[in-house]
Amino acid sequence: MDQKTFLSENAEAAELQRLIAVEQQKAQFQAQVHNFTDVCWDKCMDKPSSKLDSRTETCLVSCLERFIDTTLTITNRFTQMVQKGAH
Amino acid sequence: FSYFAFNNAEAAELQRLIAVEQQKAQFQAQVHNFTDVCWDKCMDKPSSKLDSRTETCLVSCLERFIDTTLTITNRFTQMVQKGAH
Repeated sequence: MDQKTFLSENAEAAELQRLIAVEQQKAQFQAQVHNFTDVCWDKCMDKPSSKLDSRTETCLVSCLERFIDTTLTITNRFTQMVQKGAH
Repeated sequence: FSYFAFNNAEAAELQRLIAVEQQKAQFQAQVHNFTDVCWDKCMDKPSSKLDSRTETCLVSCLERFIDTTLTITNRFTQMVQKGAH
């Protein structure tokens, strides 16, 4: 078996970097889905029943979109506050 | 004893054993999460036995939570692909 050291060729290092970036993207996506699911489950699901009714499903979709709107609103406002040096 | 003395068959077997343990750990983590979620949703004040209404709720809860995860996954995937801001 070849003895490889850390002096890999550029192409191998670049490919490894690319694979790591892809896995990080997948992990971030999963973490976001997990967080949204927790938030919107609490907000939309009353007592679980034998099927996912359309009112609950509509609530879940709205919840996801409004939660993202909310995050943007707070991000923008807080950014302003920080930039203006709010105490 | 040298860590680099594995032949291909041993390395493949070790990889297989690690994959089995990862699968078991992932299963346990999921059960733990579902239990937390559905305990909060279905259990009022605990009593001296698990009544059938609570048990039915727990089963529905698990199924609806998975439905919910799929609904959000699908919708969020669409949003990401359309380049939502």
